[in-house]
Amino acid sequence: MEFFIQQFINGLTLGGVYALIALGYTMVYGIIQLINFAHGEFFAAGGYMGVIILSFMASMGYMETHPWLCLMGSMALTMGYCAMLAMAVEKVAYKPLRFASRLSVLLSALGMSIFLQNGLMLTQGVYDKPYPTSFTDGGFSIGMVTMSYMQVMILVMTVLLLIGLNILVFRTKIGTAMRATAQDKVMSALVGINSNRIISTTFALGAGLAAAAGIMVGLYYGSVRYDMGFVPGIKAFAAAVLGGIGNITGAMIGGLIIGMVEIMAAGYLSSEYKDVWAFVILIGVLYFMPTGIMGENVDDTRV
Amino acid sequence: MKKLITMTLTFAMVMSLALAGAAVAKTLNVGSMSPLTGPYAADGNDIANGVRAAIAVVQDEGGVPGFDEIKFFPQDTACDPRQAVASANKLINDEVSFVIGAYCSSSTIPASETLDEESIPMLTPASTNEKVTERGLEYMFRMCGRDDDQSVVAVAFMTNYLKGKNIYLIDDKTTYSQGLADNVEKKAAAAGIKVLGHDHVNQGDKDFSAVLAKVKAANPDVFYMSLQNSSSGALMAIQARRVGIKAAIIGQDAVYHPQLISIAKEASEGMYLTFGFIDKQRSLYKKFLMKYSEMGFAAPGAYSGYAFDAAYAAIKAIKETGSTDPDAIKGALMKMDYDGATKRIKFMPNGDSGSNYIIRKVDGGKFINYWNPETGSTY
Repeated sequence: MEFFIQQFINGLTLGGVYALIALGYTMVYGIIQLINFAHGEFFAAGGYMGVIILSFMASMGYMETHPWLCLMGSMALTMGYCAMLAMAVEKVAYKPLRFASRLSVLLSALGMSIFLQNGLMLTQGVYDKPYPTSFTDGGFSIGMVTMSYMQVMILVMTVLLLIGLNILVFRTKIGTAMRATAQDKVMSALVGINSNRIISTTFALGAGLAAAAGIMVGLYYGSVRYDMGFVPGIKAFAAAVLGGIGNITGAMIGGLIIGMVEIMAAGYLSSEYKDVWAFVILIGVLYFMPTGIMGENVDDTRV
Repeated sequence: MKKLITMTLTFAMVMSLALAGAAVAKTLNVGSMSPLTGPYAADGNDIANGVRAAIAVVQDEGGVPGFDEIKFFPQDTACDPRQAVASANKLINDEVSFVIGAYCSSSTIPASETLDEESIPMLTPASTNEKVTERGLEYMFRMCGRDDDQSVVAVAFMTNYLKGKNIYLIDDKTTYSQGLADNVEKKAAAAGIKVLGHDHVNQGDKDFSAVLAKVKAANPDVFYMSLQNSSSGALMAIQARRVGIKAAIIGQDAVYHPQLISIAKEASEGMYLTFGFIDKQRSLYKKFLMKYSEMGFAAPGAYSGYAFDAAYAAIKAIKETGSTDPDAIKGALMKMDYDGATKRIKFMPNGDSGSNYIIRKVDGGKFINYWNPETGSTY
């Protein structure tokens, strides 16, 4: 039983990270029907920006005096940076192709992904970058179950970010505009919504969440690598499809399920095949339930 | 038309002159193959830099008589067997006299077969799988130790020093890492250590929480991690400490890298690792170290020294015989017996240069020599 609870906590942590990344996929798909394959790179860029800012703060000695302030500050800066990066990528690689065929945009996304990954490799080097983490070490145990402070932080931050996003999308003016653009670009433009700005905002939001996931993953595992965005990106994509691509609540649920399945499969079956399960789910969902858990329709015009 | 013919002829003559000119200036072409990109890039670049340092030291010593310059062709294998064979073919086209590499045993084995067909000597600084030198290849040499010797030392340390009763092993399924873990498992079982489990993870995994929860539940005395890569080792060490695994952790030569400590920090304290003994007081080692830092490379990685020795020995062989004929190089290498940077350089008939594994320990943020299998006591 303790083993199960331990794995459950591990699964929640990993699932939270996948959920944060999956949101970016699903939001972008919802609004311009594009699978943004460069999304995993925003996650990696976030991890790197986090290590750069935190290392700087550590070298200035602020990490000793105000560790949590540093952490929150670097997270905000990183999210801001990645949001801008995503807007730039959108402007360069996707906006000129707004009226091109979907395949062109998809290829552009793949190219952008390779470009960003190699950019990271060339500017930051091929070596792993260690996070200056000592204050995130430690944790507590209840019986045989241990939970590190980092896991608690990931869970709390994920929940806060998800609540924040929900409020933004369903309670604010910009959220209403986003949903309207997703439903019908022409109609929403007719009522005075600047669809280009809304699309840009959507990219920024998704990348910001991915950046938060990147910095938390870096802190949790202790290091980042330039190719860290690839596998989590694909798994988060599977999570978005599982939840029903285009649906925000679905992406959260999908992320949690994928993370949980992966950890449980590694714990009870075999850790060799743990990566297989995310893709088994992806294939299963596409075959038996193409709309996913929460998706209502797969109509081109309204997702 | 006449003008065209004249022009063509002139062009051909100029070209032939240029080619003849090139043929006069004789260059010694040195090839290396190692993973310069991808997850093993850290070790791969260490190897290429080790070769660069060797070439620089040779040039400081007056170069190679009969050759005007030494040209270096580093190839990227990405630790992928197919790319390794492609790299081998590229190096054959570059007409290299010998090749230093590769890093992953799974790359070295197929690439060496391609090179052997063209009779190009290959000296691996880092591939420890037994099969590398056990296939009867004419021109295959190895600078580092072998996994069967490495596992003997690891198991001797568990039984004689740690007095472990049981063990849990994790590997990441490469020719090298799984081969080594299987060796350790077999020998540990023969030595009376109970094997509680042997799990596999994937290369490049970041999250080991699930498999480490299993290790924790099994509660072994010794936890053996056989991973292809030091950063994975660091991640596993951090997470192992975090979930509260109390076992003594033993890693192997691929986990042995300064990166392990820089990433895992306190979590790596007390880890044991098997690696060849390197006497840093040797004069050639000091020369290597000085050149290495002079050239602006970061501190030498695990295999920089072996790569330096391999390249230095091969160039020395060419110097001695004055030719790049593979049989001459082989003959000179076989006769060699001198103090290299990392060890005494003396090759056995199968191309091995002998293993000298010891146990090292992470202590106070650096690697220290810890346990000597020959004397059975700590340093």
